[in-house]
Amino acid sequence: MAVTLPPGLSQQASRKGAAQNGLARSRAGGRILRTATAAALAVWFVLPLLPLGLWVFADRWSYPAPLPQHWGLDNVESALARGAATGFAGSLGLGLMVSAVATPLGVLAARSLAFHPSRWSAAVSALLFAPLALPAFVAVFGLNVLLVRLQVPSTAGVVLVLTAYALPYTTYVMRLAYAAHHIGFEEEACTLGATRGQVLFRVQLPLIAPALARAAFLAFLVGWTDYLVTLLVGGGSLVTVPLLVASAASGTGNDGIVAVLSLIALVPPLALLLLMGMTGRRHRGGRT
Amino acid sequence: MYGGDTQGNAYVDDYLVPAAAKEGVTLKRVPVADTKDALNRVLTEKQSGTTAGQVDLVWVNGDNFGTGKAAGAWACGWTSLLPNMGVTNPSDPLLSEDFGTPVDGCEAPWSKAQFTIAYNSAAVPGPPKTLAGLLDWVKEHPGRFTYPAPPDFTGSVLTREVLYSVSGGYTNVPLAFDQGAFDRLTPALVTELQDLKPSLWREGSTYPKSSRELNALYAGGQVDFTMTYGPAELTKLVTDGTFPAATKVLALDEGTVGNASFLAIPSTSGHRSAAMVVANLALSEEQQARKADPGIWGQFPVLNPGALSPEGRALFGRLPSSPVVPGYEVLSKNANPELAAAWVPALDELWRRQILAGK
Amino acid sequence: MPESEVLATRSGQRTAAGPSLKPCMPGVLLAVPAVVLVTVVVGGGSAMVAAQSLGLMPLVGRPELSAAAYTAHGGDLLVGAGLSLAIAGTSTLLACLVGFTAALIIMQGRWCGKLVAAMSTLSVPLPHIVGAAATGLLLADSGLLARVFGAAEGWPAIVGGPWWVAVIFEYAWKESAFVGLVVAGTLATRPVDYEETAALLGAGRLRRLRHVLLPLSLPALMISGTIAFIYSFGSYEVAWLLGRPYPEPLPVMALRLYNSVSLTSRPEAAAIGVITAAVSLGAALVALAFLRKIPLWR
Repeated sequence: MAVTLPPGLSQQASRKGAAQNGLARSRAGGRILRTATAAALAVWFVLPLLPLGLWVFADRWSYPAPLPQHWGLDNVESALARGAATGFAGSLGLGLMVSAVATPLGVLAARSLAFHPSRWSAAVSALLFAPLALPAFVAVFGLNVLLVRLQVPSTAGVVLVLTAYALPYTTYVMRLAYAAHHIGFEEEACTLGATRGQVLFRVQLPLIAPALARAAFLAFLVGWTDYLVTLLVGGGSLVTVPLLVASAASGTGNDGIVAVLSLIALVPPLALLLLMGMTGRRHRGGRT
Repeated sequence: MYGGDTQGNAYVDDYLVPAAAKEGVTLKRVPVADTKDALNRVLTEKQSGTTAGQVDLVWVNGDNFGTGKAAGAWACGWTSLLPNMGVTNPSDPLLSEDFGTPVDGCEAPWSKAQFTIAYNSAAVPGPPKTLAGLLDWVKEHPGRFTYPAPPDFTGSVLTREVLYSVSGGYTNVPLAFDQGAFDRLTPALVTELQDLKPSLWREGSTYPKSSRELNALYAGGQVDFTMTYGPAELTKLVTDGTFPAATKVLALDEGTVGNASFLAIPSTSGHRSAAMVVANLALSEEQQARKADPGIWGQFPVLNPGALSPEGRALFGRLPSSPVVPGYEVLSKNANPELAAAWVPALDELWRRQILAGK
Repeated sequence: MPESEVLATRSGQRTAAGPSLKPCMPGVLLAVPAVVLVTVVVGGGSAMVAAQSLGLMPLVGRPELSAAAYTAHGGDLLVGAGLSLAIAGTSTLLACLVGFTAALIIMQGRWCGKLVAAMSTLSVPLPHIVGAAATGLLLADSGLLARVFGAAEGWPAIVGGPWWVAVIFEYAWKESAFVGLVVAGTLATRPVDYEETAALLGAGRLRRLRHVLLPLSLPALMISGTIAFIYSFGSYEVAWLLGRPYPEPLPVMALRLYNSVSLTSRPEAAAIGVITAAVSLGAALVALAFLRKIPLWR
């Protein structure tokens, strides 16, 4: 085990009184340090979102005014006129489709890796993690020709590529979950005469539900956040929020629209997270 | 089509799409960040040998059109079938050649454009009257001017304007590309642009990557000039406060480059006849007049004023004029022709090597 | 899932009566769908891109094996690779530092930890293109900060500047949240007692950090750091929106050539893609080799 206890224990123990004092003092100092660090981190994570929040409501914000000169909802209107709703639906559909394919495939792969180690296992996990090492644009340069030649509908092509990029995450999350849960539970249920439905719904699902939700969420994010694959493989047939953002950001005077579209991009993942947090808490509460 | 232009999007969504629907054609506007993305898709489809492609109509011109034509990406010989082609002037050179590439019925005209330099008249009281004068102004006011890095469309045009200027006018530059002329004329261009470099924004150590970035600099007061091939957008940007209220269009004695943009149908399109219906519709007097309204989009029409019907003439007569941008007749005075498409990548590459990468 | 699970339990019932419980589930075959899909995307994609780079799939003309695409932009390619490595390396380092700190604070719980956890979840689900646009609105010459400080001409060249600060900031910002949440997640599953024991035994703050928390989080830090590195190394939209035109990171250069109108540029774009992929794979292998040396790994 790499966790080595600090050397010279006896020495410290002999100065226990002094150490206790020091510990108390360092705690007070530590709290200030911790609070300051936490505040700095909070600023770090939120600062870039600040201009978005302002631009959303800025009907007029000429340079160098530090704050918008006219507040209003013109940008929301323009963003809607630009197809924000279509893009939102496209993004949502894409995220859900990727999630719907990548999660079950990841579950299966993770079960195979966790419970059936074989001489193939190492190769299988190496392959499933390979997408992490291949930049998406490279895969797309190659696949684009292949997919069009095979007449794969472009939306299906996007889902296919993004699913491959989501699989490392779903497999990894589920692999961790299965490492913690013992297959013995299922086998025991089997021997005790549980039907397959009972094993699935009473034993397997409750055990892996939180991990399943995490995996599905990560896969959703892969679809939700993608730009390049949707652009190049989708060929314009699939309009998503990132595509609208890029197209708006390439024009002048669209900052407010970019801000609206950006905040739209933030809503569903946050809603999902909240939902997961709430149901997770309820589950935990129920069990204890 | 290119989706960065809010007014263009709005025109298509609010006027062209409903009109197409009336003709029984469902038109779906696909925004791209760059027209090259669309051409790229068509080329990929072509590479894969499909005939049921995703893209049915592309707003295109210049080298994108030229390359696409060379690669067989466009359907050809269909524009003469459009009834509304009769309202255009068949001998208009802007419509028969697109940056030196014969159109050959591979694309239907849609709009005309005039390269326009705009300036903040509050910061530049006595604006220069020629391009050479502008370059002198830049050297006298270091840091207040820059241009987008080619291959950005707008930056690319500016280098061609400078080429005309240092060559003593466009008449001295052969429009068709020839290597001899290129080798003879470009050293002066490179010298001029190199001399200009220290006087540019950030001492020319870098350039805005796109006309959007130049516009952002102009909006933020970092530079006093901006430039565009679509002067229509100026009206809107001044009205909504993005650009300073004192923005004016720079009138150059020798004129500026003008061109036309077109609608092309990819050879891989699965809906060729529907695309032709839309191209014809886009050429109609009514649609051209709507598109020319500065409150809607303000794109210059491609129709021949002499061939308009009385109703058409009335439609155009009722158009309001823009407070910022003068009419097409004024802007296009002394219009310079565009160089052949083959010049464009050659000049862009030269610029990249000598000006951008060269120290 | 349902189909294979049904399969699984059916075979389970069959063998449940038998003496051995082991084959309750069918084995390695469960991974087949995922393996096939990834093989198509990764294998197919790499093979096709390699073929394009070698001139075997030209837009016009006949296929001909050639390495011309690799040599066409020799100098720019090297500069671009160096730039990409520098951007990805710096931003990953920053992301790991900030992310690890965030994980420590999150682990402490209380309102501080909850605040940091909540704030970092804001940036994780945002598309990078949105992060880039937001960074531009914040840090550009006419961005929010320049306006608030009234800096005007004095504002430093952050967006499009010579040090690629805005690009590095965007990656560091988004990836630090990713690293932080991954590390915090791993720490949460490890026994908490290590630190408490060490504290009770009188280990100081720094010692606990060095000897307990850091070793515990090292695998997660390495993995998330590597993912972040490879992502920023091969990502396009941020450098495209916030960078400068020259020199170009590899993905920007590749996309410019891919979208370029000259007909020879596609193989050149593919060649840059092959090189980017090779470097990414190399980085992954190096990270894996390091991970193997960490005793806590597995």
